[in-house]
Amino acid sequence: MDQQKPEYLRPALIAGAIAGFLSGLPFISAGNCLCCLWIIGGAAVAAKLLAGQTAGVLTSGDGAIVGALTGIVAAVVSTLVQIPMQKFNLQLAQRVLDWLSSLGNEMPSSLEGMIGGTTGVLTPGWMLLGLFFSAAIYAAAGALGGIIGVSLFKGKAVPPAPAAPPPPPVPPQGPADAS
Amino acid sequence: MTDEPGPRTVGRIYVLTAAATVLWLAAIFLAPWLAAKGAVGPARVLYALFRPVCHQIADRCFMLAGHPLAVCGRCLGIYAGFAAGLAVCPFIRGFRAAALPRPTIFLLSILPLAVDGVGGVLGLWKSPIGLRFVTGLVWGTVLPFYFVAGLADLAASRRRRRAAPALEKGGDPK
Repeated sequence: MDQQKPEYLRPALIAGAIAGFLSGLPFISAGNCLCCLWIIGGAAVAAKLLAGQTAGVLTSGDGAIVGALTGIVAAVVSTLVQIPMQKFNLQLAQRVLDWLSSLGNEMPSSLEGMIGGTTGVLTPGWMLLGLFFSAAIYAAAGALGGIIGVSLFKGKAVPPAPAAPPPPPVPPQGPADAS
Repeated sequence: MTDEPGPRTVGRIYVLTAAATVLWLAAIFLAPWLAAKGAVGPARVLYALFRPVCHQIADRCFMLAGHPLAVCGRCLGIYAGFAAGLAVCPFIRGFRAAALPRPTIFLLSILPLAVDGVGGVLGLWKSPIGLRFVTGLVWGTVLPFYFVAGLADLAASRRRRRAAPALEKGGDPK
């Protein structure tokens, strides 16, 4: 193919920042539990942005690159957003626990797991490990989302430039008019 | 040189994807098995690995040896569907590069999962874990047809870009 290499970074940064922000927010992040909705959706949006700024048709490989980059950006942004949210998450979990105990209910095992998970992420080691895993998983999911995005919004083929018209015939140069 | 990735590139990507899928599915089942065997540390690492992509609510997970799998029923359906799609992929396409599935196929395959998921989030119904698994399975089956084709195209385009300057150099009469 003759077309220039598309500019992947800008769409990946924009879509990745939005997807990462949504993935880091409490409650909203649950969208990722629905087949990585924010990551796959964000990567598809990145593919659409890329199609908008690129002349010609995107290939599925282009979608894979921009999607994987989107996933990595989203993992970093999501981890950064989660740092200040940890306190809020813990307070929220504590409030739910208090409410349950006031009702005299036994804590469901799923809630126990969630709270255990939240506290586990607090240490820097777990956070780094989580970032590494998230980046790898989100990159794969993002690549998939980017490829799906290309299949949905791949852009329009640029028609080949029309052949240059032949130069106009040069008028015969006669002797200069004497008059 | 053609623009399409050759059967060798597609085959290589296919094998790598299949290997990663087997490892991924094995890790999902390994987490509760390790927990049941008392290997709490490794089990926690495996559960943590899947936390970014699944809520892991125990009531929505299939159980193994008294412990929940590392992902919920719907996610397990997606991954199992992905594996099933990979298994049938060579019989449908062989190892040749093919166009991505049509958008209609994508929309039809995601529709049951989307309806079930949105209905659940809005509190309209609480679907049983089996139905979650099936809706995930339907969507997951389509995904490898995107994934393998996209990564094969990526590998082929990288090779082309790498080869282009070398060809220019080789073709230079100076």
